[in-house]
Parts: sequence; C-alpha cells; structure tokens
Amino acid sequence: MSEKTNRFLPYMRQDRLPHIFCPGCGNGAVMNAFLEAMEKAEMDFDNIAMVSGIGCSSRIPGYINCDSLHTTHGRALTFATGLKIANKDLDVVVFSGDGDAASIGGNHLIHAARRNLNITMICINNNIYGMTGGQVSPTSPKGIVATTAPYGNYDTPFKLAELVAGAGASYSARWTTVEMENLVLSIKTALKNPGFSFVEVVTLCPTYFGRKNNLKTPTAMAAVMKANTVFKSAAERMSEKELKDKIVVGEFANKQRDELSEVLEKFSIENSGGKTAVNSAYETEF
Amino acid sequence: MIIINEDLCKGCHLCLFMCYKNVYAISSEINKKGVQLPFVKFEERCTKCGTCEVACPDQAITVDLPDNWWMDKDNDINFNPHFAKGRK
Repeated sequence: MSEKTNRFLPYMRQDRLPHIFCPGCGNGAVMNAFLEAMEKAEMDFDNIAMVSGIGCSSRIPGYINCDSLHTTHGRALTFATGLKIANKDLDVVVFSGDGDAASIGGNHLIHAARRNLNITMICINNNIYGMTGGQVSPTSPKGIVATTAPYGNYDTPFKLAELVAGAGASYSARWTTVEMENLVLSIKTALKNPGFSFVEVVTLCPTYFGRKNNLKTPTAMAAVMKANTVFKSAAERMSEKELKDKIVVGEFANKQRDELSEVLEKFSIENSGGKTAVNSAYETEF
Repeated sequence: MIIINEDLCKGCHLCLFMCYKNVYAISSEINKKGVQLPFVKFEERCTKCGTCEVACPDQAITVDLPDNWWMDKDNDINFNPHFAKGRK
C-alpha cells in the first residue's frame, strides 16, 4: 500500500468498511484496543479464533480478518469451549455483549469461569439492549429510562466483573472506553493469562442509552462516564452512598490455578495413551 | 502529520474529547454524508501519543510518525512483519 492508512486497517476486512456501528459507539474502539493489545502481547494473528453470539458487539469478529464463528444467541461460550478442547493450541477470543453474556448466557458465563477454561472473553457492556431497540438489560443501572422502563428502572444491576471473579475466573477486570491505555494493557494481560480471563468494557450507546437519558451526543456521554469512574483502590474507602451511579474500574481477580484443557489432556494421556480419550473395543479404527 | 479519512469518519467528535492537548476542531461545512468532519487545527500542540488513533471508533485517524513500523516506506504491505509470518 503506497497510501498511508490507519495501523489497524490491515487486520480488518476492508471491503466491509465503514462498519454498521452508530457514530460514537464504543465497539470500534474496543476493536482497536484488542488489535493493539494483540500486537503488544506478540500473539500470532493466524492462530486466533474469534467466537461471538448475537448483538451489536458480536459483529466485531465479522470485521476482523481472522477465523471466526458467529453463533446462536448467548451460546458463544459453549461453542468456544468445544473449539478450545478440540484444538488446544488455538487462542480463542470471545466477544460478547451484556445481553449475550449476562442475560441469556448467564449460566454459561459462570460455569466457564468455574471450569477455568483457557480462553479470553471481552464483554462489551453498554448497559442496554442496543440492537433490538433499547430495552432494559441485566446490567442497566437503577433509575435509567429505557423503552421497556418508561418510568425508570427499578432493578439492581449485575456487577459482571465481580460476579466472574467470585465464580472462580483467574483474571477479571473492568474498564471503560474513555481510558484506552489501561484497557489495552488489561487486554494484553488477559491474552497472556492461562485460564479464564474476563475483561468487561463499559461503553457508550448514544443512540439508545444516551438519547433517552438526556445525553444526546457521544461527547456528553463520554464526559459523564469519565466523571463517574472510580478506581477500585479509591472505591474501597468510599461508602455505599457515595458509590451510587459510579463505575468501579480495576482488576478484581488475578490468580492462576489449574486449567481445563490441560487437565483433560493429561487425563486422556493417563487413561488411554492418546490425546483424545477413547476407551472402546474399536479403538484400532480411530 | 495527522491524516483523517473522510470516507470512514462518521462525525462522533470523540477525538475532540479524547485528545489531551486539544489538537482537533470541528469544521463548519457539512460533507455529502451530512457529517461535520473534525480537522487538525493546532498541529504544533500534538505530542504524538497516539490516543486518538486507538480511541477513534471508525479507524479514520492516522498519526504519521517515521519511528513507527507501519509508516515505513519500504514496508509495502503495511503490516507488522512479526505477525505476518504464517499469512499466505
């Protein structure tokens, strides 16, 4: 290419650009952050397989020029589990939204964290169901106005990073899209970490979240998000009243333990001698 | 030198918010897509940190630095050679 182009464009399917995300949507920034983190972690781009479910954020693997699976709603982690156990050498990355990961795939999320499978999951949390028209999602903050909550949301939201850390993941963090440097370094750590690595990214949704909550421009949403961000170390010293409507960012878990795909391989070598556990009378045929 | 791709920019103006040194400004004209494009007004303020490049959701901004590998003139594929080993 003689003309000077953006540094992330060579990794992407350029015939599909510009992408369908709304102006100001954080999904494109998370895509950039992932590509930069992949460069910093010195991973092999051809060895990466991306899995996604249904949603705005799950369209990201469609724009990146690598092997990808676009699966059914909420089941991205189950497909990723099969992919990782079938081929242990692949670097599996799961992109999913908050409705995909926390609502319909909530059980898959906590059980993948409990098993500690060696995959990286990036959950893009825009606090609302963006693709279907702005309904209330399990991560919507208390008091926001949405299509299905015209008088305000009464439910308490999920805290995904804490939930996954409590379920036993070996790495769990939460960042926002207005602090790119921390996000890039966190995704880099998550890609290198052996075990289930979860990064929750709180993004802007100016079209459906912002328009109904008097934050009509992306800049206004980003300014409010930046003002409401509190680091974990500072949040420990704050009372619950002060922490209302605040986004606590930081690393919530970072400790390694046994990882599922290696445990399974060791088990099958001990019991059947091969990498696949086959215990059958027709063993010679395999 | 900072290049803004006019075909990719959707006019969210997050580059104005994210830039630490206020390099960008909004133009008064509207292009054929109906977008008020940002433009580089104060280039002498730029410290070349590259935050706008990562934070741009539409991959429209390129910060031209001779030190960066992706700006090397001999590199005709414009691709990090470290990651391109297995690519066919």
